Amino acid sequence: MMRAITRRGFVGAAAAASLCGAPAAIAAGDAPFRLGLTPVFLDNDAAVIAQLRNTFHAAMDQPIELLQRRTYEEVTGLLLEGAIDAAWLCGYPFLQHRKALSLIGVPVWNGRPLYRSYLIAAPGDPATGLADLEGGLHAFSDPDSNSGWLVTASNLARMGRTPDDFFARSIFTYGHRNVVRAVASGLTRSGSVDGYVWDVLSEVDPGLAGRTRVVSRSEWLGFPPFVARADRVAAPAVARFAQALSSMETTPEGRAALRTLHLDGVAPGEVSLFDGIAARMRDVSRL
Amino acid sequence: MIRAFARLPISVRVPIMSAALMVLVGLIASHQVLTALTRAQEARLEELMRLHVDGLSVALGPSVLREDVWEVYDTLDRARQAGADQRMILTVVSDSDGQVIAATDPRRAPVGSELSDLTDLDTVPKLDEIALTSADGHVRVLAPLVYQGRGVGRILTEMDVSDLAAERRRATLALIVFNTVATGGLALIGLVVTRRMLRPISVLAGRMAAGAGRPEPIPPQEVPSGDSEVARLFRTYNDMVDAIAAKSDTERRLAERERLVSLGRLSSSLAHEINNPLGGLLNAADTIETYAERPDTVRKSAGILVRGLRHLRDVSAAALDHNRVDRRGEALKPEDLEDLRMLVAPEAQRQRQSLGWMIDASADDLAPHPAGPVRQIALNLVLNALNAAGPSGTVSLRVDGLEDGLQLVVTDGGPGLSEAALRRLFSSAPTEPGGGVGLRVVRDLVSSLGGRIAHDRHEGRTVITVTLPGKRAREVA
Repeated sequence: MMRAITRRGFVGAAAAASLCGAPAAIAAGDAPFRLGLTPVFLDNDAAVIAQLRNTFHAAMDQPIELLQRRTYEEVTGLLLEGAIDAAWLCGYPFLQHRKALSLIGVPVWNGRPLYRSYLIAAPGDPATGLADLEGGLHAFSDPDSNSGWLVTASNLARMGRTPDDFFARSIFTYGHRNVVRAVASGLTRSGSVDGYVWDVLSEVDPGLAGRTRVVSRSEWLGFPPFVARADRVAAPAVARFAQALSSMETTPEGRAALRTLHLDGVAPGEVSLFDGIAARMRDVSRL
Repeated sequence: MIRAFARLPISVRVPIMSAALMVLVGLIASHQVLTALTRAQEARLEELMRLHVDGLSVALGPSVLREDVWEVYDTLDRARQAGADQRMILTVVSDSDGQVIAATDPRRAPVGSELSDLTDLDTVPKLDEIALTSADGHVRVLAPLVYQGRGVGRILTEMDVSDLAAERRRATLALIVFNTVATGGLALIGLVVTRRMLRPISVLAGRMAAGAGRPEPIPPQEVPSGDSEVARLFRTYNDMVDAIAAKSDTERRLAERERLVSLGRLSSSLAHEINNPLGGLLNAADTIETYAERPDTVRKSAGILVRGLRHLRDVSAAALDHNRVDRRGEALKPEDLEDLRMLVAPEAQRQRQSLGWMIDASADDLAPHPAGPVRQIALNLVLNALNAAGPSGTVSLRVDGLEDGLQLVVTDGGPGLSEAALRRLFSSAPTEPGGGVGLRVVRDLVSSLGGRIAHDRHEGRTVITVTLPGKRAREVA
């Protein structure tokens, strides 16, 4: 599945590259810039991948390789061991490895670099809050996702409960879209999902998102950031990438990609944006 | 029903049977086609199911082993969306204990529920037992989920086969319409052809039954030309009709001749009867002429003359009565028997025979019987008896009234009836003339009156008994 998407993305990129008249031949010894992607955004959208590749290729004048992995943990691992140069990660793993990683940009959504976590259930479900969902099946996105796990787990921790003893059973779907699918199909009663993903899905795929409703929303938290290893953040390629990110809204390719992603742009960002996540991490770790 | 069918003419029965056979053949052929179609559909379905289950086994094996709910669901859901064949309604995957891991429709088969809650697993057919017999158009199949050579779970699949049922319905309808039209057409053609082939039989049957039971010949224009079987059959039939006509004509002429023979015999005896008194009458006339002056003698002779002439008048009246054809329909009266006696007595007298005449029947006993035929029967038998008895022989006629009928017994002391005479009296076989005058006429008259004849030879006497049924017995018959 991963390979298929990668290949499809590559073919799309090649076609787009030739259409844009970008240089087809790469100078010898020009290693591609490798960017890791997590399923934070619309993970199965090959168009998004092709657009991102075009954007960064054009802005950095360097071939770019987009790597997808099933879990946040795998992408984080690749970043820490230096197999990739940068990654679009979640605030939670960023804070988990705060010492080793540096922030190089935070996407801006609806004018702010913030998003929320939603607790969703079926439209006919009578639940009005997390407490009403006890004993049901729950879908998390990823154990290293802030919106898809940490927010609900920390809310439960504040109630003195853990996901395992609160829910009859909880499953990981490794994708925010999959959480929506699980709840929409009735596989699980409720799910923890990225509010940004759910809102965008409501626009682009109302047939799916419409089969779920938001039971509760978290406070505003730092948007999933672009990060690089702290010891490599000064490298020219990483610096070019940070520059390409911040200037995305100034290029046609960048604007197209941002439009597809329903984002306004990418801001430099401050670590303090993720204080809310840090607080939740502390609540969970206390259990 | 069967009896009513058996009563139908063969020219109707054979076409109906051939049409029925065609309909039967059509039904059997339709049944075969539908059975084959169902088998083909079941084989197709089994193939489809096997592919489905095998594909899922390969894809789901590791996830089922880990009981990874999301992976199992995701695979099932993507397989469902990607499936070109939209037959799969529900696929449920359980672990080896029968606990549901995931289903394409989690609301129908929730995670963690028991597979047996969904359906009675014992009644769900295996892959090779698929039968397209369900009423709701759904078929369920239970198959083991085998991964790395061991069963790690089970797959329950429900398919919508209503399209196959609809296909069968369409095929059935098409077969019914086609077979109805085809067998109907063929049956109609068969009806026409067999009727045409059997038309000669109808013609024959019609001609045989025509004209009050008397077969009629087939007109030459209806006989097919050439030397076909039908033409030969018709010609043979016509020959037979001609032969029958010739035979009855011969018989009629024979009977007429016999009547004339008996009439001749009767007239000779009448001649005697008239001749005998003539001498006496002439003598009386001479006496009157000679002794005209003797009133007593004249008166006496005139008396003789009158009695003699009266006798002659009675004899001729009896003879006239006997031959009056229009008397046939009249009822028998005692006077008829008296007439008869007057007719035969001269013959007996001539041969100096003793003629016994015993009438033990009242006018009521005689009345139900027609005068003409009975007189003829008695006359012929008595004349024959007189002839057989010879000079000075004895002959008797006895007429008895029975409870319901009449019996005539004629006895004579003659040598008995010859073989030829008996044949004439008892059979309709053709015989040469002679040997018993009018016996064939007796036989024909008795049988036309529904009576019977018995012959016996007893103590040197021949006894012929004719029994005629009365009114009641005739009505019963």
